[in-house]
Amino acid sequence: MLKSLLGAAAVMGLAALPALADFPEKDIQGIIQWGAGGSTDTVARSVTPHAEEVLGGKVILQNVTGGVGAIGLNQVERADADGYTVLFGAENPLLYKVMQLGQKDYSDFVPVNVLARGVPILVARPDAPFDTYPEMIEYIKANPKTVKFGSTGPGGLPSVVSSMIQSKAPIEVTFVPYDGDGPALTALQGGAIDVMPAVLGAAIESIKGGKMKAIAIFDTEAAPQLPETKTVVETNPEFGDILPWGPFFGVFVKKGTPDDAVAKLTEAYKAGAAHPDFVKLMEGRGYKMLSLTGEEAQTYLNDWQSKTSWLIWEGGIAKKSPEEFGIPKP
Amino acid sequence: MQSSRNRRPGELGFNLFLFGVSLFLFYSAYGISGFEALSAPGVVPMATTAVMFLSAGRILWDVLRRPASDTETLARDIIPLPIIVTIVMIALYAVLLRPLGFIPTSVLFLFVMIRYLSGHSLGFCLGTAAGTVALIYLIFRLIFSVLMPQGIVPEGEIIAWISSIF
Amino acid sequence: MDILSNLLMPVVDLKLLGLIAVGTFAGIYVGAIPGLSVTMAVSILISFTFSWDVYPALALMIGIYMGGVYGGSRTAILLNIPGAPSAIATAMDGFPLAQQGRAGEAIGIVTVVSFIGGFIGILALALFAPSLSDFAIRFQPRDFMLLAVMGILLVGSLSGESLVKGVFSGALGIAIGAVGMDPLTVQDRFVFGIDELRGGVSFVAVMIGMFGVAEALSQLHSVNTPAVKQKISRIIPAWPMVRKHLPLGLQTSTIGTIVGALPGTGGDIAALMAYDYAKRTTRNPETPFGKGAVEGLVAPETANNAAVGGAFIPMMTLGIPGDAVTAIMIGALFIHGLNPGPMLMVEQPHMFWFIVGSLMLANCFMLLFGLTGIKLFVKIVELPRTVLIPVILVLSIVGAYAVNNSVTDVYWMLGFGVFGYFMKEYGYPLGPIILGVILSRLLDDNWRRAIISEQESFGGLMRGIVSSPLSLCLFTVVVLIILSSTPAWKMLRRKRTA
Repeated sequence: MLKSLLGAAAVMGLAALPALADFPEKDIQGIIQWGAGGSTDTVARSVTPHAEEVLGGKVILQNVTGGVGAIGLNQVERADADGYTVLFGAENPLLYKVMQLGQKDYSDFVPVNVLARGVPILVARPDAPFDTYPEMIEYIKANPKTVKFGSTGPGGLPSVVSSMIQSKAPIEVTFVPYDGDGPALTALQGGAIDVMPAVLGAAIESIKGGKMKAIAIFDTEAAPQLPETKTVVETNPEFGDILPWGPFFGVFVKKGTPDDAVAKLTEAYKAGAAHPDFVKLMEGRGYKMLSLTGEEAQTYLNDWQSKTSWLIWEGGIAKKSPEEFGIPKP
Repeated sequence: MQSSRNRRPGELGFNLFLFGVSLFLFYSAYGISGFEALSAPGVVPMATTAVMFLSAGRILWDVLRRPASDTETLARDIIPLPIIVTIVMIALYAVLLRPLGFIPTSVLFLFVMIRYLSGHSLGFCLGTAAGTVALIYLIFRLIFSVLMPQGIVPEGEIIAWISSIF
Repeated sequence: MDILSNLLMPVVDLKLLGLIAVGTFAGIYVGAIPGLSVTMAVSILISFTFSWDVYPALALMIGIYMGGVYGGSRTAILLNIPGAPSAIATAMDGFPLAQQGRAGEAIGIVTVVSFIGGFIGILALALFAPSLSDFAIRFQPRDFMLLAVMGILLVGSLSGESLVKGVFSGALGIAIGAVGMDPLTVQDRFVFGIDELRGGVSFVAVMIGMFGVAEALSQLHSVNTPAVKQKISRIIPAWPMVRKHLPLGLQTSTIGTIVGALPGTGGDIAALMAYDYAKRTTRNPETPFGKGAVEGLVAPETANNAAVGGAFIPMMTLGIPGDAVTAIMIGALFIHGLNPGPMLMVEQPHMFWFIVGSLMLANCFMLLFGLTGIKLFVKIVELPRTVLIPVILVLSIVGAYAVNNSVTDVYWMLGFGVFGYFMKEYGYPLGPIILGVILSRLLDDNWRRAIISEQESFGGLMRGIVSSPLSLCLFTVVVLIILSSTPAWKMLRRKRTA
């Protein structure tokens, strides 16, 4: 490994040979922007041990939470761009600017790996008087304002999915805010809310256990874990132009990090993401593996940002127009 | 405490301060969302700061009616020298933590504090300070992987170097 | 038969037995040091045990959890610095005992009642998990709101001499808890344009400041008086003493189990509620509360250990965490290829019984390790304060930093430490501040959810409360607590007893 890197460096004629040969020469600090036990945390903690094998060094993981992940992101952004501080983040930072949550987002970072994306799903309490998406819309139209939708605050997955629904069929529902999809799904099972847009992985076990029912999968293709559930595109083809869409997890370093460090981290996390244990784990939970790196990852981020920012701006959730930050319309 | 009879030195000032803070926070809570809706994010902050403001007012009223203590003085009973020194040392610690790093700042802090409070020999103070910091470092950094601010001692590299030997 | 073999699995497998022992032992120290938390230790263990089999990994985590919840009481009693939020109530009567030279005795009682509380919680998990989780999940936002109000009313019990100062402290705590970006609306509250405040003020930082630094500063007043000599002849409490407090302990264990089983509330709230319960129901304590009442140790320590078993109830039956630690354990199960959720008990019942067995074992180790080595621990109090105080200050700093790896939290901790010192000097109780911070989100979020669910109609909310038996029951308790502290009620009661 070391030799091949040295060789590559020699070919490229880089001057900083000794530093290059050694990365990582000390423990790397990994900042997880969400709390312990959450999905970003679980993904980070399950991919990192596999990546460490290739990296030949330790990544010490820490949760730095708060401000919809902005506190953790800013901490990595303030650290030196030497590759020794790595961010494990979700999709949220791409909306910080339009939501006015911070001045920094992934444009200040280099993507090491966009690991996987979640599949959104609409779930309802088991005794809800509708089973499919069209039935739900019909019921809501007949009973305006009485159906309670769970949400996780503006900018979160439920708010984006709700914006999608609103953009196709304006409906009147009551949004009850929770501080995460876990508590909201708990409330759904207790009957405090009726419908919740969530990520498949968080709901799958409760659906199997009959504690909630799946209304529609918000994706273009059916989920292998729930073959009976229809996708929303099957019943309502008009969603075809905004899907597939989903929250994602990724590994990032600050812009300006030396190329050799980025290359080494990229190689390590690419290998980690390809490890059969990790792939099995992710697919079992209903995530779609992406493992995008370099240009590909950057394009994915840009597309995601422009699609979502404009969607929530038009849905009236965003505070500032994406135009102000030079985010192109999709 | 004897303060239930007489006003302790500085008590009036402290309660005036709390009263002012409450008022300011109430104003700030009002600014969050005003009286937009019962579910607005500012409702609970407004209610609690109103309670703070009212109770601080009530306490202030009580304090004002009490005669000042003639047996206690601010310098002797509330903030005697050791406490002032400690507070100043804590402030210095906070300022130096980032630039100097955890290890030197803590050793320095412990050394000065133990020396000042106990008056033991320099060797004893330095030994206790270094030993304590070593123990804390062992538990927090090596076992619990808490990366303390590094500062001037390149501990990350030293650990990597030591572990590369084994 | 199958159940029994899974239940006994951690006992017969020597490796698992050893891991639970090591975990419980380490947990006691993790719990005792303020700033090292069980949540932190368990999330580090996820990486540490990544390549292990799921059973040893869980065994170690369960040991740490059980030991850690108990360990918080150690420093609370010895130094008046609770090692964990769930030990705040324990300090109120534990520290006065230590000052009377009875620290060993206090630790002995706490260990035994912790064991009893832990046992009740695990028993509830083993026998009633499905029906208890069914009950817990039915809590609506309005019920959580009523529960939070009930919690706020504890200010009365925590206030000491001046109720109005307690009310001020409690309200200040709620305001501190509201600092930062409101997660429900992404609206800034009390942020004043400072970016670091967006994430809120870490409540462990407030706790360490208020109890660690403020306490260290006030102990500087008597820095040169020799430390209290501790009598350590009697550590294991006598049976009549245990039997006398058993009824109270069983009642507070029930409180602990239920509060632990509720998603979103844990041992910290359980312990405070139990303390309040003890204070209200104990007619004639031998020693008054706050001066070293044994009831003041029994109630919180049974409750917070019972909450451990309680927290596993929704986790095992529904895949819903009962507190922060079980949330991480759910992540651990997932990493080890299991799917925590309602199907876990159906598809893999052996996992349930293995966890019950491990908890039982950890509880026994807690009793064993708790009762041995007390003599050494008690020596801490006898160390010269001139050395101890600086060390406590540095530990407080490291602890505040470790919670979120943030230097800002250190500044907050120090700020609250100095502020807390002055509050203490001028007779403000600090307990209600922490109570307020703990309950702030529970109250605020659920009040808003409840009122949103009724389309902003207060009348609708009240109708909702009256029409649900659970809400009505909680509402009645709230009203009774308020009524019982009015002068008219007290007069009535005095007449009747006279």
